[in-house]
Amino acid sequence: MITLSYQGKNTFLEAVNKKSGADVLECYQCGKCVSTCPVSNFMDFPPREIMQMIKLGLKEETQMANSMWFCLTCSACSGRCPREIDIPAVMEAVRHIAIEENYHSDNKQVKNIRKFHEIFLDMIKRYGRNYELRMMAEFNIRTRNLFKDMHLAPKALLKGKIPLGVKSMKSAKAIRKMYEMADKLEKQNK
Amino acid sequence: MARVGVFVCFCGANIADFVDVPTVVEEAKKIREVKFAIDYKYMCSDPGQQMIRDAIVQHRLTSIVVAACSPRMHEKTFRKALSDAGMNPYLLEVANIREHSSWVHQKDKKAATDKAGDLVRMAVAKSIANEQLHEISVPVTKRALVIGGGIAGIQAALDIADARIPVTLVERSPSIGGRMAQLDETFPTLDCSQCILTPKMVDVASHPYIELIPYSEVIELDGFVGNYKAKIRKKASYVNFKSCTGCGACWQKCPVKVPNEYNMGIDKRKAIYTPFPQAVPNKPVIDAEHCTYLLKGKCGICAKVCEKGSIDYTMQDEIIEREIGAVVVATGYGMWDAKPYEEYGVGRYKDIINSLEFERMVSSNGPTGGVPMRPSDGKIPKTVVFIKCVGSRDKAKGIEFCSKICCMYTAKHAILLHHKVHDSRAYIFYMDIRAAGKGYEEFVNRAQVETGAVYLRGRVSKIYQKGDKLMVRGEDAQIGQEVEVEADLVVLATAVIPDKGNPALARLLGISYDKYGYLSEAHPKLRPVETAKAGIFLAGCTQAPKDIPETVAQASACAAKVCGLFAGDTMKKDPMVSTVSREFCSGCQNCVKVCPYQAIVTEDIPLGHGSKEMRTVAKINEGVCQGCGSCVAICRSMAINLAGFTDPQIINEIVAI
Amino acid sequence: MKKVTYFPGCSAHGTSEEFDQTVKMVMKTLDVEMEEIPDWNCCGATSAHTMNESLAYALPLRNLVLAEKLSNDTMTIPCASCYQRLKVTKVHMDENPELAKKINTAVVGEGEYQGKVAVKSMLQYCYEDVGLEAIKAKVTNPISGMKLACYYGCLLTRPKAITQFDSPEYPMSMDNIIEALGAKATPFDFKTECCGASFSISDTEVVLQLSGKILEMAKESGAHGIVVACPLCQSNLDMRQPDIEKKFKVKYDLPVFYLTQLMALAFGFPKEKMMFAKHIVPVDGALAHIGEVIEEPKKPAKAKKAVQAESEVE
Repeated sequence: MITLSYQGKNTFLEAVNKKSGADVLECYQCGKCVSTCPVSNFMDFPPREIMQMIKLGLKEETQMANSMWFCLTCSACSGRCPREIDIPAVMEAVRHIAIEENYHSDNKQVKNIRKFHEIFLDMIKRYGRNYELRMMAEFNIRTRNLFKDMHLAPKALLKGKIPLGVKSMKSAKAIRKMYEMADKLEKQNK
Repeated sequence: MARVGVFVCFCGANIADFVDVPTVVEEAKKIREVKFAIDYKYMCSDPGQQMIRDAIVQHRLTSIVVAACSPRMHEKTFRKALSDAGMNPYLLEVANIREHSSWVHQKDKKAATDKAGDLVRMAVAKSIANEQLHEISVPVTKRALVIGGGIAGIQAALDIADARIPVTLVERSPSIGGRMAQLDETFPTLDCSQCILTPKMVDVASHPYIELIPYSEVIELDGFVGNYKAKIRKKASYVNFKSCTGCGACWQKCPVKVPNEYNMGIDKRKAIYTPFPQAVPNKPVIDAEHCTYLLKGKCGICAKVCEKGSIDYTMQDEIIEREIGAVVVATGYGMWDAKPYEEYGVGRYKDIINSLEFERMVSSNGPTGGVPMRPSDGKIPKTVVFIKCVGSRDKAKGIEFCSKICCMYTAKHAILLHHKVHDSRAYIFYMDIRAAGKGYEEFVNRAQVETGAVYLRGRVSKIYQKGDKLMVRGEDAQIGQEVEVEADLVVLATAVIPDKGNPALARLLGISYDKYGYLSEAHPKLRPVETAKAGIFLAGCTQAPKDIPETVAQASACAAKVCGLFAGDTMKKDPMVSTVSREFCSGCQNCVKVCPYQAIVTEDIPLGHGSKEMRTVAKINEGVCQGCGSCVAICRSMAINLAGFTDPQIINEIVAI
Repeated sequence: MKKVTYFPGCSAHGTSEEFDQTVKMVMKTLDVEMEEIPDWNCCGATSAHTMNESLAYALPLRNLVLAEKLSNDTMTIPCASCYQRLKVTKVHMDENPELAKKINTAVVGEGEYQGKVAVKSMLQYCYEDVGLEAIKAKVTNPISGMKLACYYGCLLTRPKAITQFDSPEYPMSMDNIIEALGAKATPFDFKTECCGASFSISDTEVVLQLSGKILEMAKESGAHGIVVACPLCQSNLDMRQPDIEKKFKVKYDLPVFYLTQLMALAFGFPKEKMMFAKHIVPVDGALAHIGEVIEEPKKPAKAKKAVQAESEVE
């Protein structure tokens, strides 16, 4: 049972709307997004329900959901939304709030997805470009799943699908500087 | 010395919440000519009016200012109060401190109050220069024009004609009947549409007070309420209706086939045709766009087989003029084209049809003999998916409003499907079931319980083909699961849109329409069948989507309005009209050019007293004049004055602020 | 001779080398000179916008600023993901100059962003700037006989406000190019369904499900193979195909071609140059259809005749 008590203001809704530039209140719960979304099956709350949860101001429940981590930003939903809501932007806003305010889900998939993104960004910070093999290896090590996709490796390597090295860029330093500045900008935004 | 009374209204909280009413009264009292000022909660109420009546007598007032809502609302009420107290009603001025002040300045009470004070000062100043005016009488042409011969037009025409007022009914297609003639059965009672409609169609044809002009369109409307002049273009039918017996030999032999509009293009009709067997008039017309003889000069089969010699290829369009007093517009609706729904594959899949197409299929006089069939292969569908709100309630791809009738006719379609194909099943994707109406909720229940129609709550997101099935994907929010229905046929309840010709028609009639093309009523609640132009009324879906009972009710309401208008031999009219001072008129005729109502003509008068030489001056027909003031503004010699808005009145207003 | 700025993206030097190589071959044939952005960096997709908004703008913005230093008015990008990030950044920066100024501070030492270079995907560039006629003119070895399902994925045409190109639901540009090469594009309803690319590594289960459905529908459409214009789509549909087949106990055998591989083939380049060896699903079966005559179903032709007869004078 969820008890709803009116606190004068739905600050969670306001924060999401401001961050996303969308208006969650526009949602009339038709569910077109749910059956459009390729990953709604994997979400514990599909987009339609996330919208309602934001409307109800259920911040904890929304932030602990895995939904926004599964969103692929494929924009299929927003292209079909009869209320013209930028749903991926809403998902992104919820995700960014979760990062800023340190919400951490226990869900293993969410942990993996977050880890992947962290490793990827780390890689770019170091090389300026993506180094695919190292990326895959590091992901497997950090998620303690050493043999994931190993069956693909021989074939992929043999066929030259995944190269062993990376042509890193010259201005890698500039990218590191960019990371610092971007972090500063993010903090300003809060 | 003028003695003005000022009456300031609270309008409950509407004015008082944002305007400090007592302050406005105090400000008014400071004006020299104001001998009495007071406020009251509802000035329009009986006690409020009584205050005005009493004050007029007690304080010997010479003009009255009521500071309240828009004069569109209660000017008449207060004028009547003045008359009742023995005062000329046109000595009233209304200061609109609600729409012009309290409602638009809700965030600044001081500014709103100041502005209300200014508006009162202006009204007081103007009222001092007000003159006694008297209503004008105008003769009325007692004939109504009804545009559109669907159920709305038919009902309006019959009701007006039953009051022994002549009606001219203009219908664009060869037969009256409209959309209702295309329907199979009607909700919520499932009576046969044709069976209840055709008697009315026959009544129209035989009514002594109805002149039916089919296959024609209104092309011009001049004049004003009670005195309109309409031009109607009657398209050449190439058939002499007087001698034609409607035997049908011509259309049986005609070799040219054209998509049949009556059956939504599912089958073909001939180039010479009557739209359907019960057509009224039951005489064929030749479709000039497709007739081989009219296009190429060859064929002529219909003329050869016609025993009465009724075919006349030389017939020309005819312009008919009628003098009329009132117009009822009933141009009906069309179905929204669902092409923008690319995710449904509209246009790519033959087995996606719209509701009106389905309606024709299940009609016993329809192209498939009353059995639904898949357009792709002619198979009888067992699983039919109905999708509601396609284009409706969709501001992204369609239109924002609810089309109102789809919930009910889709329930009907589920029942009809069950009647025609016993081992079939209807799946209905819906967002809400809107079944407000007598017997409507029960009808939806009947669809669910008796026929086992499955209602799934959600908007369909995608349709794709798999084998010979259409896979319809949506969420059923009731179980929080995505579902996919393997359908044989998909029926889209597409949005109800007004006739495409509405904007052009509205322009020629001089009435307004909304962004979708629906014609606008004068007031959404209190004047729902009138337009802002006096003497023009709206019936049926031309104003907004509505079902048959509502359409019929509105049509009858139009008839009542027309009858009311024609109740006397003359009509009363506000005296706010322009007059020309001949001595100042230079005869430049600029006013003639700017008058939007063609109310100004010229006349020749002697140059001087007893002189034989003549000069030309403007002359205003006060019956036609609508008091817009264009002529006053354009007149260089200031020879024209508009009663109620004379120069002294306007100057007083300006000086007051 | 046209000139265009080229942003290859990380995968061009990795998983999608064959795309990069064939793009270069095709463009040369079409008289387009490509100028690679010097020292470009990763666009950050999809991790940057998942985790850090400012970084998500800054990474592509640096590339946009670098592109403006070259004299070309258009930039083209083979990878759909890179294209999406660069285009989103461009549109948002152009709409909001204040935000652009702010993000520009993170692009150290490269100058001000001015918004003067158009950003187009490789597909869009071929379709709009080169044009079907020019492509047709270069076809020497038509690939007629092949039936192909064109798969656009989610990023090439969506969201419409960003891409401003083709239909987000049922695009036809790639289909038209394929038909210009002589092949037949099959009616394929899953053209723009997502393959789950960004979870390729982090959550393989998602990918198997989504890509599996796409393969199933492509097969259903009667295609011999799939055509893509995105390295992520290619690697998901190709590299994961054996896993998908195993999981769902089916056999698809659908090679996944890059659009430019087929263009190069039709332009007469030898097969060896397409690097087909890098494909996990062998392509030979599909290529063997070249030269076959595709039989059109006969029924519609008959029906057409009947209709004609009807409208004639009897």
